[in-house]
Amino acid sequence: MKKIVALGWGVAAWAVVAVVASLLVFNMGDKNQVLMFLPILAVVVAAWGIGELVTERVFGGQEERV
Amino acid sequence: MALFQRTFDKRELRDPGLVRTVFGSTWLAPLWLLARLYLGYQWLLAGSHKVWGEGRWIAVDGPDGLALKGFWERAIAIPEQGRPPISFDWYRDFLSFMVNHEWYTWFSWVIALGEVTVGLLLIVGAFTGLAALAGAFMNFNFMLAGSASINPVLFVIALLILFGWKTAGWIGVDRWLLPALGTPWQPGRAVSRLGGIAPGERGDELVPERGTAQA
Repeated sequence: MKKIVALGWGVAAWAVVAVVASLLVFNMGDKNQVLMFLPILAVVVAAWGIGELVTERVFGGQEERV
Repeated sequence: MALFQRTFDKRELRDPGLVRTVFGSTWLAPLWLLARLYLGYQWLLAGSHKVWGEGRWIAVDGPDGLALKGFWERAIAIPEQGRPPISFDWYRDFLSFMVNHEWYTWFSWVIALGEVTVGLLLIVGAFTGLAALAGAFMNFNFMLAGSASINPVLFVIALLILFGWKTAGWIGVDRWLLPALGTPWQPGRAVSRLGGIAPGERGDELVPERGTAQA
């Protein structure tokens, strides 16, 4: 159950990133690329934080990718 | 025979430390994040114009992809003076074939949805290497069709992300997705559990962690 909740938080966090990025780009177009870039960066950092604090704590331990 | 043996004897040529650091160190993941977000944003923006708004390519009244047809027709045209947009005859023949067979009606969906998908995958950092490869392939085709624009810049960034596929998505979904799925030569935890094999069982070589002694 703990793993499902942690996975759910992780998936939801990154789904929010995709939705926010889509809404911003689709609604604002290329009016101000810097203003658009910052909120996308902010939600990515927030999602990464949730991943570190919730998902990584439960799943943890990464192998090297070779 | 000895000459061939000496030349092609199986040896591993290691990259210099700087290259390994740039393309494989998680310490530089924030740098890759910025490159990934910029590239993803550009693809999402390009795709948004094609799936949304007045000038969209798909789901329009009448046949889809008329804008793509116009782009292809301009690309394959040979002007009376000057150089044609396409330098390679085989590529012009390929585009002509697609125009003549009205492939633009479904190909416009592939391009429009492909651009949005590549953009979103890069932004969330899922399958980052594959997304960068798909983006680079689209840039390559646009450039072959004679459209420079920002394609050369995006192409170079995509190639760099492709080289740094292991860490480009570290601040992203790949942080958890790649270890779970693994690679074709080294199944991850989730795939191993499904296939009944131990993680790394099929791996040709496992790189030991830094600081541990090599056998």
